[in-house]
Amino acid sequence: METTTLVEWLKASSASAWINERTWVWPLAEILHFIGLSLLVGATGFFDLRLMGFFRRVSIMAAKALMPLALIGFAINVLTGVVFLVGLPEQYAHNRMFWWKVAFIAVAGVNAAFFETRLAARVAVLDADADPPRTVKLVGAVSLVAWLAVLYCGRMLPFLGDAY
Amino acid sequence: MSELLASIEGSALAVWTRESTSIWAYPTILTLHTVGLAIVAGISAVVDARLLGLARQVPIAALGPLFRILWWGFALNFLTGVVLFTADATTKSSQTTFWIKIGLIALALVVTQRVSRLVHGDDAPDGRGRLLAVLSLVLWTAAIIAGRLLAYV
Repeated sequence: METTTLVEWLKASSASAWINERTWVWPLAEILHFIGLSLLVGATGFFDLRLMGFFRRVSIMAAKALMPLALIGFAINVLTGVVFLVGLPEQYAHNRMFWWKVAFIAVAGVNAAFFETRLAARVAVLDADADPPRTVKLVGAVSLVAWLAVLYCGRMLPFLGDAY
Repeated sequence: MSELLASIEGSALAVWTRESTSIWAYPTILTLHTVGLAIVAGISAVVDARLLGLARQVPIAALGPLFRILWWGFALNFLTGVVLFTADATTKSSQTTFWIKIGLIALALVVTQRVSRLVHGDDAPDGRGRLLAVLSLVLWTAAIIAGRLLAYV
């Protein structure tokens, strides 16, 4: 399906109408989106800094035990993000900052998957306060930069994008 | 008072923030305000979650250096917040929601300072630690809600 067709279909959907007919839905979704981003950036940022070699009094596996906070934040933001997208699809579908944001989320996702599948097992057997291998530090840095880029693209979307 | 507010709003910095079409003006200041919010509320949430029992394998005292990052995040938000206020001083100062937000932040700062002292001091999260953690979560969340609602009132 072409993007335009999908946008038209979403715009005409009853879900879109439901969102737009209620004045409280959008502000509530925004509030939740900001709470979600705080949880995501806070917990992921701490874990990333640990991967980069800071906070070595905390083992990497212990720091990872805080990551459920990030997953909760991410889940909240996917759900509220879908509300925005369904509510005003034309505002995002043709907005380059939106697609940059999606791209950086993908980078963060692939990076996290790489850590889980290729590095997590190796990291688990490191000494608790060990200086992480260079690859692990790099994965931490990529994650930190990617999530800050996601935040930047999202917040700058109304100003740098081209759909308003 | 209204003359003072008007002169603040008419200052070069306020005019630039409000009227410049530069991406470095309002959009960037607002984005930095959001980055600071994520740092302050995010780090608080991490520490609060630990105090409430998540990730017990993390030594509480080891979280101490996080507060240095948190206070830098707050400094960023104080500075960008002041600039955003000057740009819209008359309206902002007449909004109840704005003053509620400032009050919530003031309370949250007192609680965060207490949490910081607790983290830097002892290692056993007692009932007081849990109470502070809950207060911190509630106050920062309420500050975010008030801040977001400023776009609508």
